[in-house]
Amino acid sequence: MAGMIRGSTVVAALVAAALGAGATVLTMRGGKQAAGPTGARTSDGRPDFSGVWQAMNEAHWDLQAHEARPAVVTQQGVYEYEYARVPAAPVLALGAAGGVPGSLGVVQGDGQIPYKAEALAVKQENAANWIDRDPELKCYLPGIPRAMYMPYPFAIVQGTDKIQMTFAFSNAARVIHMNKVEGPPDDTYMGHSVGRWDGDTLVVDVTNFNGKNWFDRAGNYNSDALHLVERFTAISADAIRYDVTIEDPKVFSRPWTISMPLYRRLEPNATVLDYNCIEFAEEFMYGNLRKEQLVKHWEGETMIVDITRKIPPGDKLHEWYRR
Amino acid sequence: MRRRIFQAFGFAVVMTALAAFLQSAASGQAPAPGGAAGTASTGNAKAGPAPRTPWGHPDLQGIWLDEFDTPFERPAQYADKEFFTEEERTARDEKATADAGRNERANRGSAQDVAGAYNAVFTSAKPTGRRTSLVVDPPNGRIPDRTSEAQERNRIDQEFRLALLQNTPTCKNQAPGCRGGKYGPPSPQLKEQSPFYNTQRMNRHNGPEDQSMGDRCMLGTTPDFNGFRRIVQGPNVIAIGIDTGQGQGYQRVVYLSGSHPPKNVHLRHGDSRGRFEGETLVVETTNFSPKFTYRGAGENLTLLERFTRLDARTIEYSATMTDATLWTAPWTVKQELTMQSDEQNRIYYEPRCHEGNYGLPSLLVGARLDDKAFREGKGPNPASQDTATCVNELPAEREN
Repeated sequence: MAGMIRGSTVVAALVAAALGAGATVLTMRGGKQAAGPTGARTSDGRPDFSGVWQAMNEAHWDLQAHEARPAVVTQQGVYEYEYARVPAAPVLALGAAGGVPGSLGVVQGDGQIPYKAEALAVKQENAANWIDRDPELKCYLPGIPRAMYMPYPFAIVQGTDKIQMTFAFSNAARVIHMNKVEGPPDDTYMGHSVGRWDGDTLVVDVTNFNGKNWFDRAGNYNSDALHLVERFTAISADAIRYDVTIEDPKVFSRPWTISMPLYRRLEPNATVLDYNCIEFAEEFMYGNLRKEQLVKHWEGETMIVDITRKIPPGDKLHEWYRR
Repeated sequence: MRRRIFQAFGFAVVMTALAAFLQSAASGQAPAPGGAAGTASTGNAKAGPAPRTPWGHPDLQGIWLDEFDTPFERPAQYADKEFFTEEERTARDEKATADAGRNERANRGSAQDVAGAYNAVFTSAKPTGRRTSLVVDPPNGRIPDRTSEAQERNRIDQEFRLALLQNTPTCKNQAPGCRGGKYGPPSPQLKEQSPFYNTQRMNRHNGPEDQSMGDRCMLGTTPDFNGFRRIVQGPNVIAIGIDTGQGQGYQRVVYLSGSHPPKNVHLRHGDSRGRFEGETLVVETTNFSPKFTYRGAGENLTLLERFTRLDARTIEYSATMTDATLWTAPWTVKQELTMQSDEQNRIYYEPRCHEGNYGLPSLLVGARLDDKAFREGKGPNPASQDTATCVNELPAEREN
């Protein structure tokens, strides 16, 4: 973990990552409900999943059960205990907003991800180098299933032979083909999705991945051999049970499954406001290449983050509240 | 063409070349004018009637493309003539096919030669369409004059760009890239911020903001008149995926209900609200961003689009741009979109320019190395080098 604080980073990117939840859906008073009719079925009798949806859990931090920790990047504090670490420089200035909430996990069965031994070592390396390795921080296309449970909303548009999902994060999208089409000519970040109905459950087979995706911010990852079977089942008019069976013989010793609800955004005028983060990540990715650098402590490609927190007069601990 | 080569330079080569190839491959299938590569078309001259969705709306679903090449604004020689004759179309097609310019090379191995490496293999040529311009209103087929305020902004912006070039051979030789400028010592403006938020390539590379939106993988803007688009349609909401540029496509969601966000919420592609008026989907888009502009129009732009399914294989599409701060009158573009094969699925709906963007950091690394070489007396003053208009061939460096 100590290695994490040496990585190149930008506080702004982390603020965005940490505070992303809920920030991109707009609520307007007096508007009509934009989502599809509750409990609706399509004209051909299928469940109608149209609307704006979002996961409400901690899977984007770590698919597995984990306890809360004070920061996404930490360093050793006074004690050597793992549970007594303190926030590291990249997120220190965020205070309690920079922490990671705990989770019961979304991995089914024993809660373990069945990594092959050598793949587990890669996962652990990923976690130790999160800032430099996680594609999310660079605003890369998030892949499936990760896009489905990032802390941003997405829209489902259910057509007659396609179901499109458009995600706020990075303006990403996927098209689920309910009819026969040719596959993509090259492997992809978002996969090639082919759907069918199994009774009232939408079953989607996803292949053609390029192996560059992660599952979460904990370094869980997959290869280009990833094969997903997703199942979307209505729990109620406003909730979908989302189950995914994950198969990747290059990384995992057996298939495993995650499961979580997706919730309809019920605000009037619920809208997916794009989180066009390419621009947000430029300083993080290319700041060291500026003629006059905005961050003053680059050593080669390594950013050394000094945190300066100036406290305005009258805003010292508790003073502001006593005014 | 020159502009396309511009935009191409510096992008993630593998991904973008693939995208360009797919586009040319797909458009290459399009048969002669009047035909279509769509599932709805079996090659018969007459297309079937416009279909409807099971819920009764005109059905706009499918992959759509303007298969024809049409001048954006009407060339002066056609004045008030709205349509080409068949002979004129044939003549234009023959000229485009025979255009050697696309493969013409500057001195082998020169900077100009490398910069122009995207030759005809990477670009597609479409057959000439019926119309003499995509702009149909005003009736003269020309974009209305800019307001005096906008003209002044343009003048200031152009002056800044020319100042950055003034010490280069482009200005010394009075090459086209320096039109309106003059040759002189390095400008003090090289140290100044650009007068407006920059979206184009300039002759300075101090950081990402000095690069074009294309270099930064943020080129796609709404409206788009060039790319493929896939429409997925539900009763209450419609998704439009646009495949344009080279891996610079984007997604739009059109809500058939609700209202635009507050004015301070700016979105790269605006906020789109649609309604059906008879056979036509009418989409109003506002809340555009000042950073992602269409021909300079951003936060004050209102875009009104109309999608009408004319028959089984055709959508008539029009877009009216209104921005009183930029243009003295609203203006309208119209095009016919032809259905492409859904089964062949030849649309690049995963824009990943950013993921493969080696061009931007390489360009900045190169600029820093040039700075260093100059500091150490081992290279020319970067201010004296034209790294912005490098496909504007200089007469002295042309072959022959």
